[in-house]
Amino acid sequence: MLLPKFDYHQPRDLPAACGLLAELGPEARVIAGGTDLLVNLKHGRIRPKALVGLERLEELTGLDSGRGRLFIGARTSAAHLAASRSLGGGLRLLAQAAGQLGSPQVRNRATIGGNLCTARPAAELPPPLLCLDARALLAGPQGQREVALSAFFKGPGLTVLGPDEIMRGVVIPRPGLGGGGAYLKLGLRRAMEISLVNVAAFLQLAPDGRTIAQARVALGAVAPTPILSPRAAQALIGQRAGDKLFAAAAEAAARDARPIDDHRGSAAYRRDMVRVLARRALEQAWDQARGRRGGKS
Amino acid sequence: MAAKYDVLGSRAPRLDAPDKATGRARFADDLNLPGQLYGALLQSPHAHARIKRIDVSRARRLRGVKAVLTGQDLPPILYGVSPARYDEEVLARDKVRHVGDDVAAVAAVDLETALEAVGLIQVEYEPLPALLTAEQALAEGAPAIHDLFPGNLCAEVHQEFGDVAAAFKQCHLIRSGRMVNKMQDGAFLEPNACIAEFDRRGNLTLYSSTQAPHYVQRTAAMVLGLNMSQVRVVKPYVGGGFGPKAAATPLELAACFLARRSGRPVKMGFTREQVFLFSRARHQFFHEMKIGVAKDGTFLALEHRCTLDGGAYSSFGIATVYYAGSLLGGPYRLPNMRYDGWRVFTNKPACGAQRGHGGVIARALFEQQLDLIAQELGQDPIALRLQNTMQAGDVTCNDLNMSSLGMRECLQAVGDGSGWRGKRGRLPRGKGIGMASGFFVSGAGYPIYRSETYHATVTVKVQEDGGGVKVLTGAAEIGQGSDTAMAMIAAEALGIPLRDVRVESGDTDLGVDLGAYSSRTTLMTGHATKEAAEDAREQILQALAEELGVVRGRLSIRRGRVKIAGGPVDIGPLRGRYLKEHRGWTDQPTGRELSFREAARVAYLRQGTIVGTGKYKPPPLGGEYKGAAVGTSPAYGCSAQVAEVSVDLETGQVFVERITDAHDCGQAVNRTSVEGQMEGSVSMGLGEALFEEVKFDSKGRVLNPSLGEYHIPTIMDMPQMKCIVVESNEPNGPYGAKEVGEGAIMPTIPAILNAVYDATGAVIDELPLTPERVLAAIKKAGQNKKGGRRKG
Amino acid sequence: MSSHRIRLTVNGVAREILAPANRTLAQLLREDLGLTGTKQGCGEGDCGSCTVLLDGEPVNSCLVLAVQAHGHEVLTIEGLAQGRELHPIQQAFVELGGIQCGFCTPGMILSAKALLDKTKRPSQEQIRRALSGNLCRCTGYQKIVEAVSEAGRRLSRGRR
Ligand SMILES: Cc1cc2nc3c(=O)[nH]c(=O)nc-3n(C[C@H](O)[C@H](O)[C@H](O)COP(=O)(O)OP(=O)(O)OC[C@H]3O[C@@H](n4cnc5c(N)ncnc54)[C@H](O)[C@@H]3O)c2cc1C
Ligand code: FES
Ligand code: FES
Repeated sequence: MLLPKFDYHQPRDLPAACGLLAELGPEARVIAGGTDLLVNLKHGRIRPKALVGLERLEELTGLDSGRGRLFIGARTSAAHLAASRSLGGGLRLLAQAAGQLGSPQVRNRATIGGNLCTARPAAELPPPLLCLDARALLAGPQGQREVALSAFFKGPGLTVLGPDEIMRGVVIPRPGLGGGGAYLKLGLRRAMEISLVNVAAFLQLAPDGRTIAQARVALGAVAPTPILSPRAAQALIGQRAGDKLFAAAAEAAARDARPIDDHRGSAAYRRDMVRVLARRALEQAWDQARGRRGGKS
Repeated sequence: MAAKYDVLGSRAPRLDAPDKATGRARFADDLNLPGQLYGALLQSPHAHARIKRIDVSRARRLRGVKAVLTGQDLPPILYGVSPARYDEEVLARDKVRHVGDDVAAVAAVDLETALEAVGLIQVEYEPLPALLTAEQALAEGAPAIHDLFPGNLCAEVHQEFGDVAAAFKQCHLIRSGRMVNKMQDGAFLEPNACIAEFDRRGNLTLYSSTQAPHYVQRTAAMVLGLNMSQVRVVKPYVGGGFGPKAAATPLELAACFLARRSGRPVKMGFTREQVFLFSRARHQFFHEMKIGVAKDGTFLALEHRCTLDGGAYSSFGIATVYYAGSLLGGPYRLPNMRYDGWRVFTNKPACGAQRGHGGVIARALFEQQLDLIAQELGQDPIALRLQNTMQAGDVTCNDLNMSSLGMRECLQAVGDGSGWRGKRGRLPRGKGIGMASGFFVSGAGYPIYRSETYHATVTVKVQEDGGGVKVLTGAAEIGQGSDTAMAMIAAEALGIPLRDVRVESGDTDLGVDLGAYSSRTTLMTGHATKEAAEDAREQILQALAEELGVVRGRLSIRRGRVKIAGGPVDIGPLRGRYLKEHRGWTDQPTGRELSFREAARVAYLRQGTIVGTGKYKPPPLGGEYKGAAVGTSPAYGCSAQVAEVSVDLETGQVFVERITDAHDCGQAVNRTSVEGQMEGSVSMGLGEALFEEVKFDSKGRVLNPSLGEYHIPTIMDMPQMKCIVVESNEPNGPYGAKEVGEGAIMPTIPAILNAVYDATGAVIDELPLTPERVLAAIKKAGQNKKGGRRKG
Repeated sequence: MSSHRIRLTVNGVAREILAPANRTLAQLLREDLGLTGTKQGCGEGDCGSCTVLLDGEPVNSCLVLAVQAHGHEVLTIEGLAQGRELHPIQQAFVELGGIQCGFCTPGMILSAKALLDKTKRPSQEQIRRALSGNLCRCTGYQKIVEAVSEAGRRLSRGRR
C-alpha cells in the first residue's frame, strides 16, 4: 500500500506550526503519531498536499500537575498514559482506557491529541476524558483557547478545531479523595479491537463516603460523537451510592445512547450493552472511590 | 524400550527455523530481479456488469508504463481448478462477476506509476442485477452469471448409501437441526506475491507465493500456450496458505502475460484488501440434517442437505460440495446416509478450499446434534461417541476404508486430559464444557485433473563426497513443516543423522508434486521420499558390498555408521583409500565401523553420482459411485477435542479458556510440528467459531477487507491448549504416518458450540458466535423452557 | 513532493538516506537498505509483521514515516543475532517450535525483545499482552508464548 505524494514540514515550535498551517491552508494536515492519518492516506480517504509534523514541538509534551490541574501534552502517547504514575487514583480510568487502545505497537505511536482530533465515535480516550471534565487547549495563530471537551466534538471526524489550530494538550482538574472511575470496552477480540460500545464512569463521593457529590458517565460508539450521559449524572448526583442506584443510572445512560445499526452490531444490542457496561463501570468506580480494588470487568 | 526410530518421532528443530528467525528467509515479495517492472491490476467496482468498452489509451501514454493488457489482448482460454468447470479468465472479456474481478493489468517502472496508470483506464460498465445470495441466484428468472450455467447452479450432488427412509422407520429418536456459517477468509499473514520472468528462448520462470507449484505450472502453461517443460514455478518461503493459495491466481497469470509482453521481469502482489477480494476461502454453507438413532444410542441414519454459496467461480467448489457430504461417513458407524448438495454461483468473490475442506460446518452441526441426542437419551456425550465409533479395518457406508483409526484413543485421551467427568454438568451457569470429534482425509485420492500422474516424485541425490544427501522435491513447504518432515524421513530411511540431509523443494523442475493441500504431503511425498532414500541406500550398500566382497544382505546403515552382520570384515583398505583422498583434513573417519560418508564415497567412485528416485500414487481406492473420488483417501486422520468456555451472560461474550485436543496422526514424524498443526488448527477453528465473517454490503462490496475488521484470534484470545498426540500405525502411510494438518480443525467449532450450550442452555445454529448472537440465543433459551436446561 | 535527508541508526550502524516524504520506515528498511526481514502483511497497522524497535519500543514500521525516524535508533530482525550465534529469543523460537511459516516471526521476536528488555521473567499474561499486536495464523501462539517464556528464563540466567 503506497502513500500518496505530499510535502512534509517539521516546524520548530508551536507558533511556527500554526503559522505554517495558516499559510498552507486547508490542504495541509497535522500529523502526530500517524496511526490514524497514515491509514486514511493509504486508503485515499484524504489527500492533503502537505503534512505538518509535530515531532519538534516541545510545547505539546509533558504530563505535569500544578494548581490542582493536570496538563497532558497532545503528543503524549497512549503507551505513556497507560504506564504513567501520574494517572493513579481517580485518574486511573484514563490509563485503563489508554492501555486498551489498539496494540502495543499502536500505543507507542498513538497520541492523545490524535485520538481526540480524529473524533472517532468509538475512540478510546474521549470517554474517560469526558468523565474527568477535561478541557482542550487549542493553539492558533491568534493564541490559545480552552474548550470543554464536551463541546469539542461536532460529529464523526469533526471537531471545533480550526484549520490553522493545533491541540496543545488537555487539562484535567485533579480529583480529590473519594474520586474513582472505571473504563470498560466491549469488542469481539481481547486485543486490537475497535469498541462496539465503550463506557467510562466517574464518581466523586462526599466526605460521608456514601453520597455521590459528582458523577459522570460517558459513552462511546453509540452516538455521532462520544457523549456524556446527562440522565445518568442526574440520576446519580446527590444520591446514596449502591447497586440499585447504579442499575437505575445505567438504565438512564442507555436512554441517552443514540446508537445505529451497522455491520458490527445492532442499535438495540448496543443500547443494551450501554446498560450493562455502565452498571459495571459504576460499580467499579464506586469500589475505587471507596478505596477498594475494582473487581469485575 | 528403545525408540523405534532414530530420527522420526523426535522434536528436531525445523530446518528453516534459523533462517526464519533471523530474517534471512526470503518470501516472494522479498525477491527482486534486475530490470524488473511492477504490475498492478484494475479490478471491477461492480458485482455484476457487462463490460461495454475499455479505454487504455491514457494509461498506455503515461511515462514509465511498459505494458497494458485487457481481456481482449489475451488468448480466449478459460481455466480454473477442475477441468470440468473451467470458468475463469485471467482478465474479464465481456463481463465482471464480482467486485474485485480483474479487468486490466499494467506493468510500469515502479508501483506508483503502475497504480497511476490503472487509475487512468476507463471502463464503461453496464451494471447487471447483483445476485448476492444463493436464493437470489436460484430465483426464477435470475440472470445467468455464467452463460455455461443457466440457473446459476455450479454443481449438485445426490447420494444415498443404504436405505435411509427404511432406517428412519427403525429409529427410536430423530433429531433435526440446521447450521449456517459465514464466508471466511484464509487470512494467511503473507499476501500473495509473485515475479514472472521470460528468458530469451521463451522459457518462463515464475516465483510465487503458492501452495501448489505444480497446478500453477500446469495452468500457466495451458493459458500461455506453452509446454509445461517451458514453465518453471518456484515457490520461495510462503507465509501460510490454508487452501486459498492452492491454485493459480489471476495475479500470477497476469504477471506472466505482462512479462511476456514487456520482455522484462514483472513483480506483482495483492494488497490485503485484494486478498479478501480474491478470497477462495471457506464457503458459506447452509446445512440441514436429520439424524436417527436406536434406543441404545446406535446411529442409524443421516439425511443431509446443504447449499453452498460459491461466489463467482467454481474454483475448488466441486470438491467442496462433495466433501461437505462425504466426510460425515466417518468416524462413526453410520449405515444409512443420504446427502443432497448444491453449490450456487453468486456475485461475490469465489470460495474454494480452506483447512478442513468442505467438512468443517457439516461436522459442527453433526457433532452439535450428537450432543443433543446424548442429552435426550440421558447419555454422556463421550460415551455415546465411543459406542458408535468405528475401528481400524471398518469401511464406511460410502466406501472410505479406515485402515487405521485411533478414534477411541482420542476420545479417551481428551476425556481424561480435560477432567471431563468432574466437570460435565457440574459447572455453574456461565461456565461450560463441551466436546466433539473430527475426521479427515490424508491426501485426496485423485489429482484435480483426470490423470494417471504420480502424485509425488522425489529424487534423493547423494552428494559425491559422501558427506550428505539432498532431497529434491516439488513439494510445497508453506509453513507446515514439510521440508523438515521429508528430511527426517530421508534420514530415517538412509540411516543417517538429520543434519546430513538438505532439502530443496517447491520447484517444479525438481519433480512432480501436487502441492500442499488435502493434507497429502506427509503421506504422499513422504512415501516417495522414503522410496527414493531407500533406493539410494540400496545403491550405496550394493556398491559397498561389492567393494568389500560380502553379500549385500550383511550390510545396513544406522546413525551414520555401516553395520556389518556376521563376523569381522576388513575395512582397512577402504578406509585407507578414503584417508589418502583426504590428506590434511581434520575430520577423518575413525573407529571400527565405516561411516556413511566412506560408504557413499566408495559408491560414487564405483559408479558415479548416486541418485535414488521415488514416486507415489495412491492405489485404486474404494467407491464406484459418482463422486467417489472426493473423500476417498489412502488413510484418514481423526481427532477429539474438549473446550471449556465461560460466557458472560449479560453481554453474550464467549471466552474459550482451555482446549484439550487429541489427534491420531499415525506415526508422528516430528512431534513439535504435529502439535503445531493441532494448535494452529484450533486457532483457526476458534476464530471461525467466534469472530470470522467476511461481510458484504448491498452492492456486493466487502465491508471488512482488513485484518483489523476481519477478526482472527490474537494471542490474547487463545486459550491454553493441551495437545495429546495419538499414534496409530497407518499401514498405507510411510512409517505409519498420516495427516494432522486439517483434520485437527474439525472438532473445534462443535466443541465450542457444545460448551456454550453447557454453559447457557442455548442451541445456536448460526456462526460466528458474536456476543450479540449469543445473547439473543441465551434470552430465547431462557424464555423457551424446553431449550433451557438446569444445571446441577 | 519534498525529499528529506534522513539520518538514523539501523542495527547499530549510522545511515543517511535521501527519501521522499511519503516513504514509510518499512519501505526504507526493505527497499533502500535491503533489510527484507521486516515483513508487511497489511500495511495498515493491523498485523504487526512489520514490527521494528524504534528507540527500543515496538512500532509498526508501515505506519511510521521514514522522516519521522530521523535522529532515532531502529532495530530490525537482522540486527538481533550476534555474529553466527542466534539471540536467545531466536534460539528459543527455533527450539520450541514458535515458528511455522515464519512470516510473523521477525515481528514476534522483536516484540518479545522489547518485553524482555524491561521484564526479565514475564508472566504468561504479560507475554500475551506484549505480543497482542502481532498476529499469527499458523501456530495458535502456544509455542510462541512458551518460547518467550523460556527465552526470559535463559536471559535472566545470563546464559547465551
Ligand atoms: C491497528 C490500529 C488499531 C487502533 N485501535 C484503536 C483503538 O482501539 N482505539 C482508538 O481509539 N483508536 C485506535 N486506533 C486509531 C488511532 O491509533 C488513535 O486514534 C490514535 O490515538 C491517533 O493518534 P495519532 O497520534 O496516531 O494521530 P494521527 O494519525 O497523527 O492524527 C490523527 C488526526 O488527528 C489530527 N491531529 C493529531 N494531533 C493533532 C494535534 N495535536 N492537533 C490537531 N490535530 C491533530 C491529525 O491531523 C489527524 O487528522 C487504531 C489505529 C490502528 C492503526
Ligand atoms: S504491515 Fe504493518 S502492521 Fe501489518
Ligand atoms: S508462523 Fe505463520 S503467521 Fe506466524
